[in-house]
Amino acid sequence: MKLTPNVTQIGLASLTALTVLGGCSPTSTPGKVPLRYMAWGNPEQLALEQRLCDEFNAKHPNIEVKFLRVPGSEYSLKMMLMLASHSAPDVMRVDHYNFPSLVEKGYFHDLTDLAKADASFHRSDFFPQAIQEGLYKGRLYGLNVLFGGVIIYYNKAMFRQAHLEDPAQLARQGKWTWDQFRKDAIQMSAQNSDGHPKQFGFGPPVSSATFPVLACALWGNGGDMLDPSLTHAVFDSPKAAAAFQMLADFRWKDHCSPTQAQGENSLFTFESGKLGMVFDFMGMTPRYRKVIHKFDWDVCPVPSGPYGHPTLCKGNQLVMYSETKHPQEAWEFQRFVTSKETEEDLYVQRRRCFPTRVGVAHSKEYLESNLPPFNNWVFVDAIEHSRPLPINDRWAEWTNEFNSEIDNLIAGRERDAAKVLKRAKKRVDKVLSEEPGF
Amino acid sequence: MRPATGKRTRRRLTDRPEFWGFLFICPWLFGFLFLTAGPMLASLYLSFQRYDLASSKFVGFENYRRLFTEDPLFWKSLKNTLFYAIVTVPLGIAGSLGIALLLNQPMKGQRLFRTCFYLPSLVPAVAASLIWQWIFNSDNGILNSGLHLIGLPGPQWLQDERFTPWAFVLMSLWGVGGARMVIFLAGLQGISESYYEAAKLDGAGTWVCFRRVTLPLLSPVMFFNLVLGVIGSFQVFTNAYVMTGGGPNNSSLFYALYLFRNAFLYLKLGKASAMAWVLFAILLVLTFVQFRTSKRWVHYEGGDK
Repeated sequence: MKLTPNVTQIGLASLTALTVLGGCSPTSTPGKVPLRYMAWGNPEQLALEQRLCDEFNAKHPNIEVKFLRVPGSEYSLKMMLMLASHSAPDVMRVDHYNFPSLVEKGYFHDLTDLAKADASFHRSDFFPQAIQEGLYKGRLYGLNVLFGGVIIYYNKAMFRQAHLEDPAQLARQGKWTWDQFRKDAIQMSAQNSDGHPKQFGFGPPVSSATFPVLACALWGNGGDMLDPSLTHAVFDSPKAAAAFQMLADFRWKDHCSPTQAQGENSLFTFESGKLGMVFDFMGMTPRYRKVIHKFDWDVCPVPSGPYGHPTLCKGNQLVMYSETKHPQEAWEFQRFVTSKETEEDLYVQRRRCFPTRVGVAHSKEYLESNLPPFNNWVFVDAIEHSRPLPINDRWAEWTNEFNSEIDNLIAGRERDAAKVLKRAKKRVDKVLSEEPGF
Repeated sequence: MRPATGKRTRRRLTDRPEFWGFLFICPWLFGFLFLTAGPMLASLYLSFQRYDLASSKFVGFENYRRLFTEDPLFWKSLKNTLFYAIVTVPLGIAGSLGIALLLNQPMKGQRLFRTCFYLPSLVPAVAASLIWQWIFNSDNGILNSGLHLIGLPGPQWLQDERFTPWAFVLMSLWGVGGARMVIFLAGLQGISESYYEAAKLDGAGTWVCFRRVTLPLLSPVMFFNLVLGVIGSFQVFTNAYVMTGGGPNNSSLFYALYLFRNAFLYLKLGKASAMAWVLFAILLVLTFVQFRTSKRWVHYEGGDK
């Protein structure tokens, strides 16, 4: 046993050596400023990111960006470990779900002064909603990428078969209301002769997981989730409760949306032509273009309630590591990824998400396309009426408390939304008032 | 002279049973000392800190105090896990033993059957969870279709908090043909035929043979499976993580899942470390109790207690 300390020391030393070696950036070309950039995505997205890095490197002979790909499932964990061990890459893409809790810990470089010193950067070029997500205490910490909001994709064939008016046309006339939505959804729902459901009016199934996507119902009805300072819950107000009741009733009274179980295993998806409408993010366009051949489809706004048709927007933030040695070069790269040219390629040509630049979104090239969807004005209108989700540093925790309470409402075991929300408020308020970190 | 002493020392070293013991556990010892012991001690230290990756502060027993007095989810996760352990461990041991007894019968295709029963445990846990998600689907899953055929209403297995705990119990049976069964099988094959012959000469039937010969001689193996089974059931994680994420209404929030959430979702690493040590203490006590009571029912062949 006397041997142990020595062996331990040697072991620790070699482990440390391995870690240090492994953590070092791979050999960089001499004379070039090395930058590391980290992001996740599907193979398609990763190929695009790699191409962006290559293009940037070609245009900036003095800088060399190395692209680190990390699988999405372990991305946030990996990033946190890198941040905690002072070895994070110079530029990273962060999902907005994680942004507030990380920016608060001082991990990200304040971009405000870099932006001010950059004569070509104008905040007014961007949608205010896109800027807002990257702000912390009034300072700029991230530039939005893969930005977008929720709209409705609808199956035109199903609308025609049910002899319903085009929802985008109705929206233009101000007649696309939640009442109309409900009627249409019921009309399109149908059963097979054996009593099993054949198709539903809309999806995704109302569940705690899809709740953020359906927040538009809450806002359109004049309710909200948290107060503006994000310190206590307000979703138990009568207006909010009415919205939740409506969503629960779509399932358990009107039967116009699949249950959670029916929605599992991709049985009722928009692609399969079994959903008349689906609430989803704008980034679904490339996929639907690729896989839908059997019916025609387009997009329309979310229905409007007494308080209009607000929808939600959300993006990822391109952030700079606070300990980067090359802030100026990192800023250059961030600017390149969010430049007009890049946005025109990614969001106009490929329609991956929505442009953060007002000019790009309002361009003729964006608004007119020869592939579906054709109602591209819907995207612009949605972003202009969008709000960010109330994501704070306790988001994961308080939404879990919230979801636990509404699980029974969604499963149809409880029918009174107001009662459920009262209980949920108690639990969420408790989480929000707790001292952070315990 | 010298070579002689040298020989004697060498012989002495290899003669000592400890030498062989340590040699054989060497790979484990290496892993434990260099990979596990460090993080374990670090987590003990962290359990007295308020630590969120960015900053840490010494808080004494505050993490423990809050767990026990202020955290309803801690108790709920402990309760869920206890239920799971209490139901699945005996069920699993009985199931594994039953299959092992069947597969121990001399018959045609014995090897094929053994392979078949072992197969499910080769399926990765995540893949198995996805399969079970299909099985449990309340609308078109095979389980509810079966119940429907015999005229029973099928519950919403994974959406109704009254049924989720049972869904996980059912799913745990998936593993009865795995390693535990193999260990039982090895144990059964280690029992000498002569005991049975002797018992039969004395007029013992099948049941008496099982009760008086098989069970006592299998008790060391049973004990081993029990200890590992209890520890394993307290660490249940993957199924719930994949299938329900702990829901609905935290009815499948198992201890390890809640610990994971605190550590990597809420970044409460101090609290999570404290939870890990509470779990360690629980398992230590349970294992200790099992060892103490084992003296009463575990019989080692040729052993004198």
